[in-house]
Amino acid sequence: MRLLTGLVSLLSLCTAVWSIHESDVGVVDWHKHLVGVPLSGIPTTAPSFYRAGNKSMIFTATANNVLAALEPADGALLWRYIFEPEDRIIGYFKGDNVVATLSSPGGGTLRTFDATSGDLLLEKRLHAPNEGALSEPAHYGKDIVFAPDSNDLYVITNGCTITHINGTTGEVVWTHTSEDRGSMVISSKLILTNGALYAVGVGRSVASYTLHITTFSPTTGEVIADSNIVSSIIDPLTEFIALSSNPEKPVALWLEQGTLRHLSLTPSLKEKPRLLKGLGFAQIVDVGLSGHGHAAVARNDGSSFVIKIDEESGYPKSVWEYKDSAKSDANADSIYAGALDALGQPYVTRVFWSHQMKKGSADVFAGHLAEGQGLTSSYYFPFETNEHGVISHVALDSENPSGWNLNSRLVVTTTTGAIQLWEQSSLKWTREESLALTAIAELVEIPEKVASEAGHDLNEGFVARLTRHVIDAQDFPHYLTNFVKRFITGSYATASASAAPKLTNSSEGISRDAFGFRQIIVAATMYGKVFGIDSSNGEIIWNRVLGMGWADGFGGTITPVKLFTIKTVSDGGDPEVVLIGQRRAKNGLLDTVLFHVNALTGSDITGESLDGEVLAANEVVQGALIESYLLKTEKRMVVLLDEFLQVYIYPDTHETREVYTSVAGQLSFPLRGVVEDRQRVIGHKIGPSLEGRRPVAYATWTLTLPVGEHVQALIPQAAQGPVASVGRVLGNRTTLYKYLDPRLFTALTVNAARAMCGIYVLDAAKGTVVYHAEVKATARGCEVKTALVENWLVYHYYEGEVAGGTVGGTMGYRMVSVEFYEGKKGDEKTESSDLSPYSIDALNVQTFEKAYVFPYAITALASTSTKFGITTKDLIVATANHRIQSFPRRVLDPRRPNRKVTSEEQEEQLFSYDPLLPNDPRRVLSHNYDVANVQRIITSPALLESTSLVFAYGLDMFLTRVAPSNTFDVLSENFNKVQLVITITGLLIAILVTRPMVQRKKLREKWYN
Amino acid sequence: MAGAFILLQILSCAILAFTFNVRGKIVWNDVCPNATTLGNGKATIDNSILSGSIKRDGTFVIPGVPDGTHILSIISHDYAFDQLRIDVNDSLSSVEVRPFVPGTPMQPPSSILLPYPAVLTPRDRYVYFVPPESFNLAGMLSNPMMLLMVGGAGMMLAMPYLIKNMDPEALEEFKEQQAKLGGIQNAFQSGEIKSGINAIMAATEEQSSSSSAQPNKGGAGSRGRGNKKSKR
Repeated sequence: MRLLTGLVSLLSLCTAVWSIHESDVGVVDWHKHLVGVPLSGIPTTAPSFYRAGNKSMIFTATANNVLAALEPADGALLWRYIFEPEDRIIGYFKGDNVVATLSSPGGGTLRTFDATSGDLLLEKRLHAPNEGALSEPAHYGKDIVFAPDSNDLYVITNGCTITHINGTTGEVVWTHTSEDRGSMVISSKLILTNGALYAVGVGRSVASYTLHITTFSPTTGEVIADSNIVSSIIDPLTEFIALSSNPEKPVALWLEQGTLRHLSLTPSLKEKPRLLKGLGFAQIVDVGLSGHGHAAVARNDGSSFVIKIDEESGYPKSVWEYKDSAKSDANADSIYAGALDALGQPYVTRVFWSHQMKKGSADVFAGHLAEGQGLTSSYYFPFETNEHGVISHVALDSENPSGWNLNSRLVVTTTTGAIQLWEQSSLKWTREESLALTAIAELVEIPEKVASEAGHDLNEGFVARLTRHVIDAQDFPHYLTNFVKRFITGSYATASASAAPKLTNSSEGISRDAFGFRQIIVAATMYGKVFGIDSSNGEIIWNRVLGMGWADGFGGTITPVKLFTIKTVSDGGDPEVVLIGQRRAKNGLLDTVLFHVNALTGSDITGESLDGEVLAANEVVQGALIESYLLKTEKRMVVLLDEFLQVYIYPDTHETREVYTSVAGQLSFPLRGVVEDRQRVIGHKIGPSLEGRRPVAYATWTLTLPVGEHVQALIPQAAQGPVASVGRVLGNRTTLYKYLDPRLFTALTVNAARAMCGIYVLDAAKGTVVYHAEVKATARGCEVKTALVENWLVYHYYEGEVAGGTVGGTMGYRMVSVEFYEGKKGDEKTESSDLSPYSIDALNVQTFEKAYVFPYAITALASTSTKFGITTKDLIVATANHRIQSFPRRVLDPRRPNRKVTSEEQEEQLFSYDPLLPNDPRRVLSHNYDVANVQRIITSPALLESTSLVFAYGLDMFLTRVAPSNTFDVLSENFNKVQLVITITGLLIAILVTRPMVQRKKLREKWYN
Repeated sequence: MAGAFILLQILSCAILAFTFNVRGKIVWNDVCPNATTLGNGKATIDNSILSGSIKRDGTFVIPGVPDGTHILSIISHDYAFDQLRIDVNDSLSSVEVRPFVPGTPMQPPSSILLPYPAVLTPRDRYVYFVPPESFNLAGMLSNPMMLLMVGGAGMMLAMPYLIKNMDPEALEEFKEQQAKLGGIQNAFQSGEIKSGINAIMAATEEQSSSSSAQPNKGGAGSRGRGNKKSKR
């Protein structure tokens, strides 16, 4: 008997796997491969074109620490390499079919990649991270040159160490570290010629920098010459460049008090600096053509020209003067970029925003065309400044298909974090890379489609009505055939169908599908932009730039803090969201701003800005924001607390104020604080609002942490949906009632001195500690991840040392599952969900907990949520190997016994404890997708009780559906309509055939019997 | 602008604690033939405090591994790898590699020593999908329910012919039984349970009596039939 029930429970476990079919890929889920916003301010990381054979691609290094290769034709991601967070990318350097990168402090780590496939060829640590010299900017003093006929590399790291590396084996051929660190010479640029390797840099002198050049023998690393050139450079980043057109005649070029000086470089460094005619030069711009002898030079008035190294004399000369390039009110500042075509001919462009035309403008110059006279092509491109901010960087790719034609492509990086490709004046594609730095996101339910009623006159006459009906009846045969067709072959809306509408009609607006899988993801990014994303296919429906308000003139940043759905579908009308952000203006003032938008269209509810314009900022609090909450009363409102704990409400109307006063007494919230060097968690309540003054929150309880322990995070409970069952019936017919305190929250603490991490579950109104645990910190500090939903707490951490420092137990990741129940034994009921926090019963809790060995490191976790809470809550985790995986609640049950299950426990569907959690690849929701660096997982209920939407964001974005208890409320996937129809038709035919036979027989019986 | 160019030369010349570069290699096999199919894989120590990427040739180097016992794991999206226990010894400047099974105690260490540099093989490729159940007519017809239905229909059609070809004696018997069954059914339908039960009892009684007599009768019947056949 026992064997049989065991078998049954095992079978039920096996079959309960909610699985993904290969045909569901891209239908129920979508994945946005992002790379992050290019670090466009630094020449070594900014986007640039690259040609490998006849294939061109775009390289960039991004703020998300990713090196990416994009396809210029459609903007698709060709490959990417994600660096570890502590291994910041400093720059990428393009060689012949190879891309090399330097990363980590001082450029201590060298990697080379195959440019087309992205395969890692070499990874070498040149020096340990703690030997890295920190420099500002980080890319200064790091450079790589490739040996032309072998795959060897010459690398400068730390600004002083030059290493020759064999590109195949990674062996160091020679290395040289400059001895006189005292003079602070930083070499920033390498030039390789046949006879010598030049390390060009600057040395610090009293008020400025002087040019310093060292030449080496490329094969042995022997120093040939070392020379300080008499010069005075104020800013080596903008006033100094080393150019080489003819590979044997490199030239150093610098500005000294507004004059342009140059020096031809020879291995012996015997040449003297020369002066170029002219005065009033302000800046030398590296356009990425320093290896081809081109650069742009700007004068003090902003006017600019292209400079080129004359191949014969080896002296620089001005080859092209840009028209109207002087600073003016009509044009914004110019940006310069250079390119090489397939034949290796250089092009230089100047791009600027024209205030007059309200368009971007590009002047492309090709010096080799028109018999060496030079040819330019100028055009405007309709850059949307309201949608994408300001152009921050431009990369150029040009070609000369015939005679006088110039075709150019521009890769534009904007201040809002978009990458765009413009082919002449047409926009080919846009990648909204700021989504890779999404600060907060919410899923918002959308309303049903309003059935369109034929607009007919109510007072229409008889004849008119008759004709209308006749006209309508024309469609009837068509409708009938369609109906029959649908009845026989048509499929029902299934839970695994795409939620995206088949025909996209933008004029109709967005409406939900049958099961509510189509929602809007409102995502606010760190680059001052809000997006509305269709959850059915990941397309951006609307996007708005966050306005700066009065800080517009100064500039600044808006950091999104909270996003609330202030009006839901059930309130009628379009749903609305409120975004709260902290605005830090360039002048240092910090304010709290609020944006109130329609979630369906992105239009401003306050009406202060029109669609298509920059969203108007509503300055709700002058100063910093401490916390903000959404009150889910009958009229939803946002409560904000400023630095002085004064309370602000939004929307601030008479109605909301009244609702607020009625509930204010019940509100309680925790904040962190420091009193006498001891960190505390302090509970607050809101005081009464006195005449003419704002209500102020006051402290009601404190939890003083031990000395040296500080609060890492206060994490509220996951949004509490309806609780379907308040208890759990055990095998012995008693009931465990869930401890459902809606005020519970989790506090994570760090004790650096003791190397411990604390986990507290507290009641916000009284500070009752319901649960406390301590786990060991690791070398990376405390990386405990928790989720608290209903009465279930899970936390994940790494157990590095077991049993007091000696490796006794087992090492690895742990997932601890904790459940809280009322009373000390079964059938004890305290009605904890409605209990006063001051009741003695608040501590009448029993806790079950079990730790499991978890297979992976995780970056985020969440539990599924459904409309009525009947469905089991599964755990969704984002693992370090770039997957989103679900773990069934049943295996995480803390009541799993440490022995053979008894028949009573079997009735509860418990099975015996196994420390290893099953790692079932069929529960990997993201299957083949590489969902990298997920920061947060949000789950949202669909209209189907069985199904929950799972949205993960971080570097990538990923959305899918899960049904933890299978889709019990819709026809099963296996339901075979064809089979049903065939069977019924078969039976029908059988009846039709046999009926006359039976009738004949009956008749005969009547006659002859 | 000069202010923006600050060089913080923090070159520490202090001698660092001894650290070791742990080397290893992924051996390509049928499961995973090359680095491109593996994707961006990483070899990590403990909770990813240190890591080294897997290069195109399958090798990796984890630089600066401190003294002590560590767990070496491969982070790969699609492939399963074994974990290894690595003991880095400072004084002997040696590395010992042992197999490690997650969830097992670290002490005592396994007596099996694996070669260093560590060699790892891709064990398995994760299968994320479940094949969908597709419709096929043969499968549908081989369904037992379907077979019963088809069989039943066939019997219905064949019955009259069978009855026609039956021996008059056997036919008589069959009809009698039919009538009895009909009687029971009628009795139940008309709600007379008692009489229904009586009918059943009678039927069973008769059956038992007839079954006791059956060997003879059956034998005779079969003989008779056999005779008939032989006559023909």
